[in-house]
Amino acid sequence: MRANSIRVLIADDHPVVRVGLRNMLQADPTIQVVGEARDGMEALELARNLDPDILLLDLAMPNVAGMDALRELTADSLNTRTIVLTGLIDKRQVLEALQLGARGVVLKDAVVEHLTACIRAVMQGQYWLEGHPVQNLVQVLRDLSAQTAPPPRRTYGLTARELEVVTLITEGCTNKDIAKTFGISEETVKRHLTNIFNKLGVGNRLELALFALNHSLLPAETK
Amino acid sequence: MPVEETPLSSAVFDQLRQAMSNDSAGFAALYRDYLADAWQTFQNLRASIDQGQFDDVQAKAHYLKSSSLVLGAPLVAHCATEVERAALAKDLSDAGALLDKTKGKLQQVQAELAERLGKSVIPENYDAAA
Repeated sequence: MRANSIRVLIADDHPVVRVGLRNMLQADPTIQVVGEARDGMEALELARNLDPDILLLDLAMPNVAGMDALRELTADSLNTRTIVLTGLIDKRQVLEALQLGARGVVLKDAVVEHLTACIRAVMQGQYWLEGHPVQNLVQVLRDLSAQTAPPPRRTYGLTARELEVVTLITEGCTNKDIAKTFGISEETVKRHLTNIFNKLGVGNRLELALFALNHSLLPAETK
Repeated sequence: MPVEETPLSSAVFDQLRQAMSNDSAGFAALYRDYLADAWQTFQNLRASIDQGQFDDVQAKAHYLKSSSLVLGAPLVAHCATEVERAALAKDLSDAGALLDKTKGKLQQVQAELAERLGKSVIPENYDAAA
């Protein structure tokens, strides 16, 4: 065992990939491959038992998927820093991995070129994305969030309460239900509905529900 | 994913060879194993496509893509990605043609590797698979 070497655990379901990664990494005298996992479950076990400095984690693995393994490892508060290996850039997936605690993301077609540099950067406390160390993670997360966010909800001049009423209408609530939900009178609900119909140019509840569905008027989780 | 025009990425091949410079037999074995595994996966993919098993096709195509990316076979990886996407879209109508394309790219990689490493890199299961 080499003193002060960077201890790496490889987790990938593909034997050829593991062999390729191991040989490539072990050519570097400062890196020591301490274990190889064939699936997410084994990755979790070995990470807990071996306490490696770095876990190279393939996201698409059998049993426990890479993202779920990452979630569990983060919950365990291990010292291991995880670098995600992925076949293609999916910004939503990258954002999720970073939010779950990954310290770097390396594309599989760039492992030969970037992996050792990424490992060093991560060991120095940096993050690594798109082939480079990241100086400002907050900015990266902000940018990724903006790029992956759903389109903003349009309001068509409706007030916050009127939008809430629209949401309940699309869920099939009656005026009585809505009045009860908000602690207001049915007369007030009717007044809200009249205002909503006028602002949107619709004539009845069905037209309102269709308009809401077709014009991004509902909160994302309602659609 | 940017697609390189060459079947075998020289940059990846050369860097891996340099990394394994003290084990040239192991280096050749790595690529022989890659080809054997790729042809086996290719055969399995053909069977899964014939049976219309979307999940199997997606998983196997992803598997082939993964090793092809790491070992520097970008065109095979690109074809495998297309098969994977077809399976995810639950539409395998073009998968047979895509697989034929994959076979062609894999044969190109194999020919390139045979030229660089010798014919012993060609796996025994090649004839059966191709």
